[in-house]
Amino acid sequence: MSRAHRLPRTGVAVLSGVLLTVGAVGCASTDDGGTVRNLDGTSVGSGSGSGSGSGSGSGLTEENTQGTTDNALILTAIDEYKVYVTEQLADTVATTTQMRDAIAAGDLEGAKALYAPSRQGWEAIEPIAGLIEEIDGLVDSRVDDFESETDPEFTGWHRIEYELWVNNDTAAAQPFADQLVTDLETLQREIATLEIPPAALTVGAGELIEEVSTGKITGEEDRYSSTDLWDFAANVNGSEKVIILLTPALDQANPALLGSITAGFAEINAALDPYRDGDGYRPYTDLSPADRTRMQTILAGLSENLSQVSGALGLG
Amino acid sequence: MDADDRRTGLSRRSLLAGAVGTVGLIGGASALAGCAGGDATGAGADAAGSASLVEGATVATAQLQHLPFFGTHQTGVTALHQASGLMAAFDVTAVDRDALIAMFRALTDEAVRIMTGKPYEELDANYPPLHTGHVTNPPPPHNLTVTVAVGASLFDDRFGLADDKPAELVKMPFLANDRLDPERSHGDLLLSINSDSQDVNLFALRQLMRATRSSLALHWMLEGYNRRVDAEPGEAGVRNLMGFVDGTANLDPQAQAQMDSSVWVAADGTEPAWAAGGTYQAVRTIRMLVEFWDRTRLDEQEALIGRRKESGAPLDGEKETDIPDFGADPDGRITPLDAHIRLANPRTPEVADQVILRKGFNYSRGFDGSGQLDQGLAFVSFQRSIERQFLPIQERLAGEPLEEYIRPEGGGFYFALPGVVEPGGYLGDGLLEPTTTSS
Repeated sequence: MSRAHRLPRTGVAVLSGVLLTVGAVGCASTDDGGTVRNLDGTSVGSGSGSGSGSGSGSGLTEENTQGTTDNALILTAIDEYKVYVTEQLADTVATTTQMRDAIAAGDLEGAKALYAPSRQGWEAIEPIAGLIEEIDGLVDSRVDDFESETDPEFTGWHRIEYELWVNNDTAAAQPFADQLVTDLETLQREIATLEIPPAALTVGAGELIEEVSTGKITGEEDRYSSTDLWDFAANVNGSEKVIILLTPALDQANPALLGSITAGFAEINAALDPYRDGDGYRPYTDLSPADRTRMQTILAGLSENLSQVSGALGLG
Repeated sequence: MDADDRRTGLSRRSLLAGAVGTVGLIGGASALAGCAGGDATGAGADAAGSASLVEGATVATAQLQHLPFFGTHQTGVTALHQASGLMAAFDVTAVDRDALIAMFRALTDEAVRIMTGKPYEELDANYPPLHTGHVTNPPPPHNLTVTVAVGASLFDDRFGLADDKPAELVKMPFLANDRLDPERSHGDLLLSINSDSQDVNLFALRQLMRATRSSLALHWMLEGYNRRVDAEPGEAGVRNLMGFVDGTANLDPQAQAQMDSSVWVAADGTEPAWAAGGTYQAVRTIRMLVEFWDRTRLDEQEALIGRRKESGAPLDGEKETDIPDFGADPDGRITPLDAHIRLANPRTPEVADQVILRKGFNYSRGFDGSGQLDQGLAFVSFQRSIERQFLPIQERLAGEPLEEYIRPEGGGFYFALPGVVEPGGYLGDGLLEPTTTSS
């Protein structure tokens, strides 16, 4: 996500999707043994739920409680996804720390080269990270949420991006790089204790593709560095990972839907392939209008199918 | 219509019917493009069709209903008096012919559903609803039509359709006074959505796009309206944003013989067999420089158009339905020789077969970078031949003084597909699967 949650208006809008999942977490924590839904949405009595969360638990409703499941295939997927989240965060913290060190050493080109790689892990798990309040606004808000680039509240990756690419100024970037590493380490600690509700996987997989469709494919996310296609790929990878982990459950629930989604990921990966460059991607400015249009419709079709996954798995 | 038809006197009512179309009569808009056309161009009032036709039109106006989808021609070409209009052009991103067929099938299925009012299933709460929810399910009966047309670019090398392109379908060239913006022009496929409710139009757009999301990318879009006012029999009932009556002399879509000769492509060997029953659709987004126009003295406005503003009467007449006698005014002392309606329809035998069916709408989309309102006419005309009917009118209008007040900015030439005769078929089936749909 790219907007600051701190700002009341955008914060509410962006959080709305997240709140649902947070609610589900809270629900599970306060309602252990409560109603659990079967795949077809019917009540199957009490179960263990997916665990007790540390979410804020606001706005619990009957609907939110549907976020629990006793489907062993889904529960396994959640466990595996936690491992994935942990790995991605560890990678992000390590690479961001390297970038911070380069900045501290005044190595402008070295820092620039680490900017896009440092975001890969974050972009792959961004919706989950969004479950931790405040973090997204601190580390990944864009200047659109502020009056100007010089607003001291404008922090995180994009402030660093601005200082490195527009001002060529490592010294100006350094306090923000220090803060970013600190914030990410905080995120890492908090995520470690976060219980991930099943709906966070399915909703999150869809949100990642929405992110690509609304932010990355427009070139507005990394407007100073033109590294949008790196984020694009990371979002797609993070979404695809969820589907890969949920494949056994989806294959059981709705194999046709699974087939459509798998085909959609294959299409978008193939469309992105010509833009690979070494370990990363070519600048956003290289993206041809025709390819962009094609990607836009592939992503739109994928989004439609991903929006069916929660329903297919009986997750609220 | 031939000249005699024009004088049957029905004109007035037909005008009413014509209003639908929007187009302008006069209007500059009309002018614009089309205006030309038409009929008549304009001419006027004259034109209209027969009484019975008018009656049919009246029925359509009075009733709110779900309209039929299946038929030889697409219903949207002939439906009358729809108060809200929307056009959306798309780039097709389907990877191959099979994907293209799947898109047209999905588009057809969704169009059938929303036009004829079949309800959507209500799923359980874990799924997104299958419909928008901002209108009832099924959508209310507001005379909704969905008309599908294709642009010349669909017949490039992507789908192997190059040999099947309608003979006159080309990318719309820059015509007189044009400043076509590529982002507001052309496209592989055009959806024209019309009904008596903007809500229903937006519902239709969202449902149709949802069904075709992986194959269609928006290229340009325009929304507008036809505000019908109470009118005496024979008056247009619609004014364009220049303030002149518009659509007075439109072709009557229920005059079947006229439609056959002037609108529907026939299986006469001049066009691919699949195209019979379709029609060429010309779209011209004609910006009106309304601030400038509003500062222009009334007699100048009327001289530019060739009609009185308030009454709609030609300059040599007293009422809107009077037919101008340009022959009695060879030097342009009453109606300037370069007045819009005179250029559009000089009322000579040579132009009698340049009748077109107009069906556009007024639009407003905010303001431009200089703070000027962005308003105008979405001119739409249907005709059997672009070259024989549409372009001659344009050629006569080229250089007209009205050009100072108007600026064609977008649109395109399209071919509205033949109708789907019965369930099982789909829009474009004759083009895409000719062996399985021989007729």
